[in-house]
Amino acid sequence: MTDIVENKTAHKHPPFVVPEFCKGCGRCLDACTRDCITLGTEINPITGLVPIALDLERCNSCGLCIDACPEPFGLRPEGEEAAFELVDPAELNGPRPYDAPIPEPWPDSTVALSERAPLIVKGTYAAAVGAVLAGCRHVFGYPITPSTEGAEMMAKVQPMLDGVFVQAVSEIATVNMMYGAGGAGKRCITFTSSPGFSLMLEGMSYMIGAEVPAVFVNIMRGGPGLGNIGPEQADIKLACRGLGHGNTHAIVLAPATPQEMLDLAMLSFELAFKYRNPVVILGDGYLGQMTGKVRLPDHMVVPGIPEWAVYGDHSHRGNLICSIELSEAGLERHNQALDAKYAQMAAEEQRADLHRCDDADVVLVACNTPAQLAKGAVKELRDKGVSVGLFRPITLWPFPIDALRQVTHRARHLVVVEASSGQLEDEMRLALSHADLFAPEISHVRRQGGVLPSQAEIVEHVMGLEYVLSMQGVH
Amino acid sequence: MPSSVFFRQFERHDHAEGINAHATTYCPGCGHGLVQKYLAEAIDELGVKDRTVLVSPVGCAVFSYYYFDVGNTQAAHGRAPAVGIGHKTANPDSIVISYQGDGDLASIGLAEIISTAQMGIPMTVIFVNNATFGMTGGQMAPTTLIGQPTTTTPTGRTLFAGQPLKVAELIAGLDGPVFVERVALYDNRRRTHAKRAIKKALELQVNGTGFALIEVLSECPIHLNLEPEAAEAWVRESMEPVFPLGVKKDVTDGPGYPPFPTPTFDPERTLAALGTTTERPERYATTFPLHLDAEDISFKLAGAGGDGAQTTAMLITRAAISEGFDSTHIPSYGPESRGGTSYADVHVALNEVLSPAAPHPHVLVAFNAPSLAKFGPSVRTGGTIIYDSSVITTLPDTLTDGVRVVGVPFAEIANELGSVLVKNVVALGALQGVTQLFPKETFLAAIRSALRGKRALVELNEQAFERGASMAAELATR
Repeated sequence: MTDIVENKTAHKHPPFVVPEFCKGCGRCLDACTRDCITLGTEINPITGLVPIALDLERCNSCGLCIDACPEPFGLRPEGEEAAFELVDPAELNGPRPYDAPIPEPWPDSTVALSERAPLIVKGTYAAAVGAVLAGCRHVFGYPITPSTEGAEMMAKVQPMLDGVFVQAVSEIATVNMMYGAGGAGKRCITFTSSPGFSLMLEGMSYMIGAEVPAVFVNIMRGGPGLGNIGPEQADIKLACRGLGHGNTHAIVLAPATPQEMLDLAMLSFELAFKYRNPVVILGDGYLGQMTGKVRLPDHMVVPGIPEWAVYGDHSHRGNLICSIELSEAGLERHNQALDAKYAQMAAEEQRADLHRCDDADVVLVACNTPAQLAKGAVKELRDKGVSVGLFRPITLWPFPIDALRQVTHRARHLVVVEASSGQLEDEMRLALSHADLFAPEISHVRRQGGVLPSQAEIVEHVMGLEYVLSMQGVH
Repeated sequence: MPSSVFFRQFERHDHAEGINAHATTYCPGCGHGLVQKYLAEAIDELGVKDRTVLVSPVGCAVFSYYYFDVGNTQAAHGRAPAVGIGHKTANPDSIVISYQGDGDLASIGLAEIISTAQMGIPMTVIFVNNATFGMTGGQMAPTTLIGQPTTTTPTGRTLFAGQPLKVAELIAGLDGPVFVERVALYDNRRRTHAKRAIKKALELQVNGTGFALIEVLSECPIHLNLEPEAAEAWVRESMEPVFPLGVKKDVTDGPGYPPFPTPTFDPERTLAALGTTTERPERYATTFPLHLDAEDISFKLAGAGGDGAQTTAMLITRAAISEGFDSTHIPSYGPESRGGTSYADVHVALNEVLSPAAPHPHVLVAFNAPSLAKFGPSVRTGGTIIYDSSVITTLPDTLTDGVRVVGVPFAEIANELGSVLVKNVVALGALQGVTQLFPKETFLAAIRSALRGKRALVELNEQAFERGASMAAELATR
């Protein structure tokens, strides 16, 4: 029944087995053409398994049994026995004897850029420019309106820089390519829109768990489902509270102009690698498609390779990118470490822009394009004599509660302006609550379905506030 | 000692003490152990331990990183080939191995394996087919045989559950891979062969030849409910007839995969690739066009897709920014690439554009009747409507009083010039002629800048602009 074959990689020594390392599967039995191996009869007291028994009188050292043993430390050539026995038993339970190379430092650096005329580009394109200048040469993506300009721009520019653009088979493949390239220590980015972002969230959870940095640009469109391609802000909940399963958070940046798309794209890489965590840039469909003036920075980044990366060279051989932790205690410790990281982000990375808030009785709260619309409304309302300001969170997570605290000291009324049914307001209310802050009266101007609140709607809402009416009455 | 590619002790898990530091997590008689042993030996023999990145799957081999002393990444279920693309493109010198089982590769990860194989990127995929989901406890796999009982096909797999998927043949049918073979482990000859095949697949990556996949028919004695020896016989007698062994594709004598270039971070090359320029556009305007608004002028340009409304809008934005003002342009399209609707909102602001939308524009440029009917009434009092009089013959009666309405035959003029495509530039000329937003030179410079690299088109577009401007100026003064 068994073929007689010549084993070209013959080990040229008779086999030996440490009974404790044999699971007694018996696959070596019929590998042996000379019937040297039998199933044992006695249960090994340490393993509870029945190891094989060797009778090597007829053994010709063909090595076939060794090749048939599924265990790395199972059947081995006899010459190794001595070496094995020399191992200090203490070492078996002592510190890891593994001689992993110590990764050599390969730091980032920056180079100065000569002065250039401003670019006149779309918001998505501006984010791509920011990524290139932040040292990103690895882009993975799947086309989806209204974010496709980012992928198209990268597909053109990356080959000119000998960089990589891969159009993945799906958003799921995209995020996993980023898991690989980010895990290898490279700076990578993708451009997507709401339905695509949903598909990426499982991978996002893996990246957060395995502490892999990457940048996700989500140009939010109308939902739920296929929705439409108009501008919406209804993924704030997803980005701030729902990045896949488990205990996940990422810094969420909300640019309001094409210029900020570039600036925050550059910043996002810095943050992603500082914290070994993905960063999400949320834009709305208007911002992604909006063409505007964009000034270039005075420097660009030449990235290195972090010490933790699985880069695929000698220096980084000892590294592991992994989100699995079977032991409950171990996984709890990992979550506590992530919590500490999130707490540091919350303490150090809050960003907000306050526009004419110093003397404002009514403060509009808005981000992305609605913040620009609100800025227009501030001007119009100020012209009407109403003391209005704009509080614009630039980080939606962590919510810039420290800056809002300054505003709530004075403001009588907060008006949240957003293209969703209250997702930004939820973030603000949660932040106020966690900070035990007394909240002034809160109202809102909301539009949905691919429509942004208009300047006129904001003005009308503020003019109708009881407080404003009473003040107008006084004047 | 065992292959030096295995850790001397499997310490990456909490229970790695004593024998657990030297025994795998695989059940007795499992084929995974053999495959991984051959893989470790191949890595060793090819001398690529330092360069290897092993991507482990979800399934029984999830803990491969316990054993292999190489760079390790643990992937989400089915996504190992995509993760592998990330690693390979990040460092083309790395040797990337995607190690996957039948649930991982042939069920949830089909899109990833097919697209990666078709890409043909040098990568080695080891596909362990044991006809069952091992880790989750013996459920049906895509490779489960017809009639084979599993916990999710308790009376045996029926046609309703689909037929066993022949992965090696499927992948061999693609153009991307250079080598695909199916091997088995059930006897010495097959084992020796399997070992050679795995080494060859790895060698093809080390040499930069291309993508290779080895499907290994493997035993899962536990879920087959068979002794290991009987499981070997089952693979031989039941599996092999459905999954015939052998080389399914071998085009390893081809030119090899094109080499990956090394990314550049040269600042001048980077700035050039981004399309930046040191040229500062000249300014022709002396002030903000205060005759239109003190600080913020809004425009709407509307037509059918292909009319060129977006280009006209883009040229206004470029012209305004070149004059040192702020400007934004937001497009709005219908779903069609051509035809359908295409609107653009443009703002030109003295300092900063606040609201980029133009619900009540100062100026409307309408390329067709529906656009005029839709947006005409939204133009603010004192504003201007410029429309294509070659296609719009009657004006809607909803237009408000106090709005100046000027018809210019955009398409007719463009046709006279020999290309209807430039009707949007005629419209831009008309906009200049009627509104005097900026001097002509500002727009002509924007047109030349936009047509950089297409010099042949400059003259035609300049003519179109001039004709539109002069005719509009004439009509506007009537």
